[in-house]
Amino acid sequence: MVKSFAPTTLAEALKLRKAHGLTLYTGGTDLMVEAKEDASYLFLHKIPELKEIKQDAQYIRFGAACTFSDLIDHPLTPKILKEACGQIAAPAIRNIGSIGGNIGNGSPKADSALIFMVTDSLVRLVCEDGERMLPLKEFYLGRKKLALRRDEIIAEVLIPRQNLDNYYYTKVGARNALAISRVAFAGILDVRDGVIRHCATAFGAVSDVILRPAEIDAMLTGKTLTQAKALRQDYLAAIDQVIVPIRGRVGVEYRKDVCLNLVRDFLDVNGI
Amino acid sequence: MKSISRSIPKKDHGEKMRGQAMYVCDCPTEGILFGRMVRSSVPRAKVANVKLPTLPDGYCYVDKNDVPGTNEVLMIVQDTPVFAGETVEHIGDPIGLLCGPDEREVLRLAGEVEIEYEMLEPTFDARESDVVFFDYAYEKGNTAAAFAQADHIFEEDFETGLQEHMCMETNGLIAGSSDGKIHVHGSLQCPYYVHKALVHALGCRPEDVSVAQDVIGGAFGAKEDYPSILACQVAVAAHKAGKPVRVIFDRKEDIECTSKRHPSFCNYKVAVKDGKVTAMEIEVLYDAGAYTTMSPVVLQRGIIGAPGIYNVPNLKVHGQSRKTNNVPNGAFRGFGGPQTFFAVEMMMEHVAKNLGLEPVDFKLAHLAKQGDSTSTGGKYHFPVPIAPMVDAVLKASDYRAKRAAYQNQTGRYRKGIGLSAVFHGGGFTGSAERDLLKSVARLHKDKDGNVEILTANTDMGQGLFVAFTKIVAETLDLPHDKIILTMPNTDRVPNSGPTVASRSVMVVGELIRRAAVRLKDEWKDGEEQTVTEHYKHPEFMIPFDIKTFSGDAYPTYSWAVNAVEVEIDTYTGAIKLVGGWGSFDAGTPIDENILRGQMEGGFVQSLSYGMMEKITAEKGKIRNNTFSDYMIPTAMDLPKLEILLHVEDYPGGPFGAKGGGELPHVGGAPATIAAIENALDTKLGKAPFLPEDVMNHLREVNR
Amino acid sequence: MSVFNLNGKEVNYAGSPAGRLLDVLRGEWQMTGTKCGCKEGECGACAVIIDGKLTNSCLVAMGSLEGANVTTIEGYRETQRFAALDKAFEAVSAVQCGFCIPGMVLAAECLLSANPHPTEDEIREGISGNICRCTGYGPIIKAIDMAAKEGDGLW
Repeated sequence: MVKSFAPTTLAEALKLRKAHGLTLYTGGTDLMVEAKEDASYLFLHKIPELKEIKQDAQYIRFGAACTFSDLIDHPLTPKILKEACGQIAAPAIRNIGSIGGNIGNGSPKADSALIFMVTDSLVRLVCEDGERMLPLKEFYLGRKKLALRRDEIIAEVLIPRQNLDNYYYTKVGARNALAISRVAFAGILDVRDGVIRHCATAFGAVSDVILRPAEIDAMLTGKTLTQAKALRQDYLAAIDQVIVPIRGRVGVEYRKDVCLNLVRDFLDVNGI
Repeated sequence: MKSISRSIPKKDHGEKMRGQAMYVCDCPTEGILFGRMVRSSVPRAKVANVKLPTLPDGYCYVDKNDVPGTNEVLMIVQDTPVFAGETVEHIGDPIGLLCGPDEREVLRLAGEVEIEYEMLEPTFDARESDVVFFDYAYEKGNTAAAFAQADHIFEEDFETGLQEHMCMETNGLIAGSSDGKIHVHGSLQCPYYVHKALVHALGCRPEDVSVAQDVIGGAFGAKEDYPSILACQVAVAAHKAGKPVRVIFDRKEDIECTSKRHPSFCNYKVAVKDGKVTAMEIEVLYDAGAYTTMSPVVLQRGIIGAPGIYNVPNLKVHGQSRKTNNVPNGAFRGFGGPQTFFAVEMMMEHVAKNLGLEPVDFKLAHLAKQGDSTSTGGKYHFPVPIAPMVDAVLKASDYRAKRAAYQNQTGRYRKGIGLSAVFHGGGFTGSAERDLLKSVARLHKDKDGNVEILTANTDMGQGLFVAFTKIVAETLDLPHDKIILTMPNTDRVPNSGPTVASRSVMVVGELIRRAAVRLKDEWKDGEEQTVTEHYKHPEFMIPFDIKTFSGDAYPTYSWAVNAVEVEIDTYTGAIKLVGGWGSFDAGTPIDENILRGQMEGGFVQSLSYGMMEKITAEKGKIRNNTFSDYMIPTAMDLPKLEILLHVEDYPGGPFGAKGGGELPHVGGAPATIAAIENALDTKLGKAPFLPEDVMNHLREVNR
Repeated sequence: MSVFNLNGKEVNYAGSPAGRLLDVLRGEWQMTGTKCGCKEGECGACAVIIDGKLTNSCLVAMGSLEGANVTTIEGYRETQRFAALDKAFEAVSAVQCGFCIPGMVLAAECLLSANPHPTEDEIREGISGNICRCTGYGPIIKAIDMAAKEGDGLW
């Protein structure tokens, strides 16, 4: 017998999750494309705890059931995230598609997930027996593979509070709306007093998972812009090495060219 | 503008706005059987065995053995089977139809039908195919001499791709029987095409079949030839099951299995003497796909338009349509014209560039004019208004200043502007209107003075019913609400021919206008009256011979000049449409809003044919079979387009109207590619040209 | 069993919670004003309004609707706002094949209720999830702009 549940508290949801497993449903924009007749859903969009956006000393915290529209409309949402969410599909999808689902479907093309990756965000996973925090990067194990246990629910995504004002974001789709990313790139550069305090890049839709080459970005951290400029070729060469696109709707060479062009532009606009 | 051009509300506006229009998918399904096609999963094979799952009571499977008449879909050449015969010829070739009362169960059962194949060698590239379906050639002047005397000879290849109609409503029909008759209704452009096909497949008398149109959710040619196939299938099923059968394709099936625009491969060789084109030698090849369907006439239109709008004194044109094991290609707005017009417009662009001349000036210097002979030795009987239309578009788009500014760009974003000039011949090619269609239209007046228009022509959203209503109301001097016009049913309407080829207003509209004139003359208050009119071939036409391709292919031409401006992001390859301008001459607009709507909508389809729409197939299997994978523009992909109407009255059309529906789909792609060329400072020969092509091009240049 | 509000009336649904709203509207309840174009949220023909937000009904599982307010074209067409859009769409002959229109009209409603005086670009964005193959969008954008101006105060 197909059974679905629409709990209104997180505690209830976790109990159901533990007891029945169930398919987690927040917006349905991916699940309903397949629309399995015999699916048993655990509807999470009516749970207030999962709809909250708030901040504490360390993080801006987004409930996993928040929709893209919720994020776009909220004053706490960083601009880079608003911009990425604003380019997802079209209003009718943004109104129900959720960040929990965007992360939870494990696609390297997920546009909000790219921003959570570049910001080194954490996911808070909860179950009846407790909870754990995991860097998003560790949450993705491979294509469509997640470190999510059968009794767990993604409760929140936490963006570390940091200077995100100087960002670079480009989504390349086949058209300006209703477009799935063919390449997406996000970069963050926090420069204070001529010194790079933090550099982060992430590449979506090129590989099995979103690429977040933190070890390469670290080359530039702590450097002055002049020093960074001297490292430019080495940095680009290292990025070139890690971008190994997979074949998809567009070719490997195309993906690679676009990624490198965007990274170069990211450095250019920052005077590196 | 004439008074008739002033717009009135569309007849179907209210019901469509309110969600009350009845498309075939909205018809009640009580007592109906749902049908699901069982299709070939391989491109070419002998069908060795079909193993059916156990069918519950009330379910049935039909195939070639159930066709009561001939297992052929009556089209131009009878090679399309209703259901596959000994072999399957493309992926998606229908083998059988599984029907039953529960739609989900039908889907499940259809998925369990096992087909055993004996594989045969398929061909996917028309250039490698040795099966020539159609081969036509014509010549005028002395091409050999012109090439011998030329100062320059330029030669180039051009390619265009498949284009999917992507109607919002997929193909769908319902067949049922009552009173000993088979009734078919649904999404179809041409009731009598379907009617004739049914008579042939069912082996019955014409009076044993009726065909009716439901509200159509977009057609553009998608519902010209294809419904004849589907109608035979559902009718055979309804005949066997003794119950009504409904088949409505899902999106994937509609994209994978129904006809599209023919891909083309053209070779142009051009002789230039004293700065003028003196001769062209043109080779045209269209990929017909697995069956012939509309391919002969698509190819005819293609080769007739091959030298474009130019006066080329010496001309040699050869065209072929070859078989491949791809999905059969058929009718699509423009009907063979967009392919060769793309090639000739790009060729003229490139010849001009090779000679160091501005393409627009070069094109203007070669325009055909009234009285000149056409490609097939017919005559341009009426004014050729291209020069003033080019002027209007140059002004509106600021083409010359932009063209000058867009030289030698090096930055990330590069702009370009391009222009094309094209025609579309209204009506069927040559003497087919007279010899094949022989259209009949009728007006019926009731005692209260209401006049019903009886034709087989369909309104699929293009606004034909408004046009017909206005033509009759204006002629009879009656208010619009005294005119009755409903969706055609072959039981009630005479055969006024199909709603295709931009013929409905120009040809059938003129028939009903003449009928209205007669009715006015013979008008008797309080009496029922019927007036029937038959097609009359324009006397001025030089008789067309299809064997030699000589004479007037069309009585008159509609004209279009398009300019397109793009901005290319050389980092991502993204091509942004910055502006689009079109001047269109379809004669007198019968309704200005409607004509503008046709021009703008068709222009957009043509723009995206140039820079967005691409079918990707691997070994005959179409990969991008969804709305998210086959790109058509959203509202955010387009700039505000400027549509200008130029009016050259055609005395043979009602109130001076000419063909309009297809005209805007001819010139958008070459204008777009010319703009991309301008931005990238290169020469291009293929459409569509996509972001990936931009990046490939840049990689080549930088290498 | 889920209970929700459909066009101002309470409805009970006892079928599969995994069923699509689109299929239930069109099939079980024979409300065929909502159209099906793709069943993957990529065309907007099936758009309805749920709790004030434009939503593709093909992507909504019935089980998610408990307590929701759903408006389809069948309900919306009875409103004054619809009348204003109707008049404007008619004036510019913005309706061609009509298959996208119910969804398009509801997209226009959601746009105007959030932003009563949209710019052309904002209109384009507001209807960006609603594909129209016939018009090239020009007349539809013109009509929405006209409705916003002439129906001033309604939104």
